[in-house]
Amino acid sequence: MNKALRNPLIYGLFVLPAFVLFLAFFVYPILSAMNNSFTSWNGISKNITYIGFDNYLTAFQDAAFWKSVRNNVYFILFSCLIQVPLIVIFSLLIANVKRLKGLYKTAVFMPSIMSTAVIGILWGFIYNPDFGLANEILGVFGLPQVYWLSDKNWAMLSILITNAWQWTGFYIVMVLAAIISIPKELDEAAAIDGATGFQRATRITIPLVMPIISVVIMLSMAGAMKAADIVLVMTKGGPAGSTDVMATYMIRYAITSFRHGFGNSIAVLIFVFTIVLTALYQFFVARRTERIEY
Amino acid sequence: MRALKKIVPHIFLMGYLLIILYPFLFVLFSSVKTNNQDIAANPFGLPGSITFDNYVNAWVNAKINTYFFNSLYIGVVSACLSILFAAMLAFAVTRMRYNRISAALFQLILLGMLIPNNSLLLPIYGVMRKLHILDTHMALILPYIANAIPFSVIILAAFMRSLPGEIEEAAVIDGLGSAGLFAKVIIPLTVPAIVTVFIINFLGNWNEFLLANYFLSSDELRTLPVGMVGFRDAYNTNYAQMSAGIVFSVLPVMIIYAILQEKIIEGVTAGSVKG
Amino acid sequence: MKKSFVLLLSLFLLSSIMLAGCGKAANEGAPATNGEQPATNDKPSEPKASEEPFEITIRHTQVGESKKFRLALLEDVVKKTQEAVPGLKIKLDAVDSEVNRKEKLRGEMAAGKPPEIFDVFGSPDAALYAKEGLMLDLTPILEELGLKDKFTTLAPFTHDGKIYGLPIGGSIEGFFYNKAYFEEKGLKVPATLDELEKLAETIKADGKIPFAQSSKDAWIPLMTTNNLWSYYGGPEITYGFKTGETKWTDENMVKAVAKHQEWVQKGYYKKGELGFEYADMRNQIITGEAIMMMDGSWANSVFRDPAQAGDTVGKIGFFNMPPLKAGDPVVVMQDANNGYGFSSAVAEDPRKLQAVKEFIKFMWTEEMQLRGLKEDGVLPAMKMDLEQMKTTSDDPLMQDIFKAVSEIGTSFPAFDALVQAEVNTALSMGIQQIIGGEIDPVKMLENVQAAQDAANAAEPQ
Repeated sequence: MNKALRNPLIYGLFVLPAFVLFLAFFVYPILSAMNNSFTSWNGISKNITYIGFDNYLTAFQDAAFWKSVRNNVYFILFSCLIQVPLIVIFSLLIANVKRLKGLYKTAVFMPSIMSTAVIGILWGFIYNPDFGLANEILGVFGLPQVYWLSDKNWAMLSILITNAWQWTGFYIVMVLAAIISIPKELDEAAAIDGATGFQRATRITIPLVMPIISVVIMLSMAGAMKAADIVLVMTKGGPAGSTDVMATYMIRYAITSFRHGFGNSIAVLIFVFTIVLTALYQFFVARRTERIEY
Repeated sequence: MRALKKIVPHIFLMGYLLIILYPFLFVLFSSVKTNNQDIAANPFGLPGSITFDNYVNAWVNAKINTYFFNSLYIGVVSACLSILFAAMLAFAVTRMRYNRISAALFQLILLGMLIPNNSLLLPIYGVMRKLHILDTHMALILPYIANAIPFSVIILAAFMRSLPGEIEEAAVIDGLGSAGLFAKVIIPLTVPAIVTVFIINFLGNWNEFLLANYFLSSDELRTLPVGMVGFRDAYNTNYAQMSAGIVFSVLPVMIIYAILQEKIIEGVTAGSVKG
Repeated sequence: MKKSFVLLLSLFLLSSIMLAGCGKAANEGAPATNGEQPATNDKPSEPKASEEPFEITIRHTQVGESKKFRLALLEDVVKKTQEAVPGLKIKLDAVDSEVNRKEKLRGEMAAGKPPEIFDVFGSPDAALYAKEGLMLDLTPILEELGLKDKFTTLAPFTHDGKIYGLPIGGSIEGFFYNKAYFEEKGLKVPATLDELEKLAETIKADGKIPFAQSSKDAWIPLMTTNNLWSYYGGPEITYGFKTGETKWTDENMVKAVAKHQEWVQKGYYKKGELGFEYADMRNQIITGEAIMMMDGSWANSVFRDPAQAGDTVGKIGFFNMPPLKAGDPVVVMQDANNGYGFSSAVAEDPRKLQAVKEFIKFMWTEEMQLRGLKEDGVLPAMKMDLEQMKTTSDDPLMQDIFKAVSEIGTSFPAFDALVQAEVNTALSMGIQQIIGGEIDPVKMLENVQAAQDAANAAEPQ
């Protein structure tokens, strides 16, 4: 038995393909980005000058960079404070209805199968100031027109709403699955004891699905740090950079302005921020909900 | 009172459903209207007269068929290979007896979850250049496989760890080696998790825009997301035709989803319960 | 047991072979050019009589309805070139113009692997690529073909005395306007900036939008700003930013930016236009929602095509932005900055070089230039008599444009040809902030000057 499972050749063969790809697409790029982040390379030239921490200092002194960081934070806050409660509420609702459960379960997942690019186009229609759905609805309530994607006060929110529209259903299905897998007896026993639906939800169901909610939060946070597609497709970071997130800021300044070295320093910063954030989350929150396996 | 209690959740859920489905309906209606004025005049209702010209034009202009099959092929191949590689690694790490190396490997891969690798576009572009595969489908397949590895390994490893040790003891007594154990015992048992991982990877690949936009330039190699944005840039004066293009790009996925939805949701379910 | 192991192993091998194979497949075209241009024409392209098929790629930006004539023209040239070079297969690769310029081509240049023939901006892009030895030196080819002195200007494509690209056409920027509306309301083409503003006021009072503009891409509103500052500060001012002789914070610059912002605040543009795409502003003109639009002369093709412009065809005119005082010289952006460049890697393959030569021979002829003018309204990049141009196209809009060309007192190249890319980025950000009303002109220009200083410092002059 031990012999069968201790074959160095097989072990090597099994580990190799994934490991090589991992080295090529994670380890090497991050090391290369770190190296380039200390240069003033324009991305084309063969002369590369090392300039120490200048790129990082430039980023830290640039208000536009902090604006993009703030937008990433908005992404995270929006997912954790608005999306996650909605996910939990709708999962509970779907879990407890008897009729049409299949329909709900199927329909909520639908936006997640569409490509972000198409969603960007679709929501471009909805946010159209002249005939878009969003303004029509406001009109019904007698509210004034909103310039969703062109007003810097609304543009970020518009993107967050679209992003939520795309991914909420995906997470609902995950949480729903966890809720359904809870043994029925627990709930029934509580009902016999006279607990209301609300009490059962908050005292029994939610604590039991906490681990999966924690996973949802982790996934949302990682997604929020990496978000770029949806912003590019909807506003290209505009108007005036007000919807730039770190990743689009990097594209704007690195590729568009021939500042490759600077762009790489932003990539490194995104990596560092994500690590710090995850570490904090693990330290303060996840530890208490133990059952996260990794 | 009881009846009311039963109806209230449905009201909320129906509201949510409306928000989800409305954009689809809007596009469907718009796609059979004659022109922008027609859409602007009556954005939400059914059109007075139905025209299918937009579909014909969009099909010709947007090359949806090419993009669709590119996306499908790249998405499926990458998702399958990443699962194969991730499962092999997960198996080696969780079931074979090299605890020290395994623990280190696993931690390293976990760190990969945190690397925002679409921000590493530039160095990855460099890797692609060195491999001389820019502007080939391989330029997407390789990074897609790699991108999916950390997540897949985590889910599959979690699942494999939870399998009871007796299974393999029995298998080893039956004379299976590591590879046989992997192929004949572990993989079949891991199928629910594999389905989940497949779906998530596939959706990720299907939706991916950034790399696809930068790494491919030939029109006939393009994937659906890039093709759709190009289509928007080229024809954005014509919302009706755009809508028809969107319908083309969404419909096939909808159909696949409708057929497989039980399996897909089962997969996500199985995966998430294991977490 | 054995069987399954073999199966697994072969699966694994198969996949690794696949990966390796694909790595190899693309190996052939490895570009290995260094800074110097190989002396290309001492080796007369010895026709090895090889009919072996080979391929070159042309990256063009003729995407969409509005560019269909240009695409047809290119396709004709491609066809002729293919017929002239045995075995040649030309692959056309269409990319949106902004995407190509700002992202795609830059990425490919960084990777040292641009397509053989590509759409490129003359200044500042071409010079930067040429400096790194990525672009083919066309000087010998042009001499051989006798084309060297045939162009109005090759300055944007010239670096260190060598020519690295050829402009496809020229353009000017000015106002398109709804002639029918002007006639109906008894309005006149303005002779001064004041008159233009009065016009805008009148049009606004009538419930129409005076100026169509789409600012999601910042270069669009910057056409207006650029012309305004060239009036207030003089067209020379832009040349001095890079050398430090002039500053963005100059009081005349402030006046110009403030003027543009004033127009926004007075409601001369449609609200929410910061989120609009380029095509939206043309739509505003076509639907009659807006009356005037600052755009490049290239937009005339849209207004002359019934498929795009519907019944507005024939109703649109063109005039230059008028000067501050009546009788002052008219200052207009005029350049020939958009054209094709060629990869330096071409020089290593005589057959590819031959293909490029043929392409140039067929593309830059008087016939093609006139055809571009006639079908597409692109002003010629090659020297040509104004009278000859006038007789080529009897379209009233084209006649307006020719008239505008003849009225030009001083022309200037667009600002982005004169400043570094990162300054363009800062200015693009700034103009959107100006339009959004979140910054005042002084502060905005200070930001741009800061970017200018940084860019100048990074570049040893």
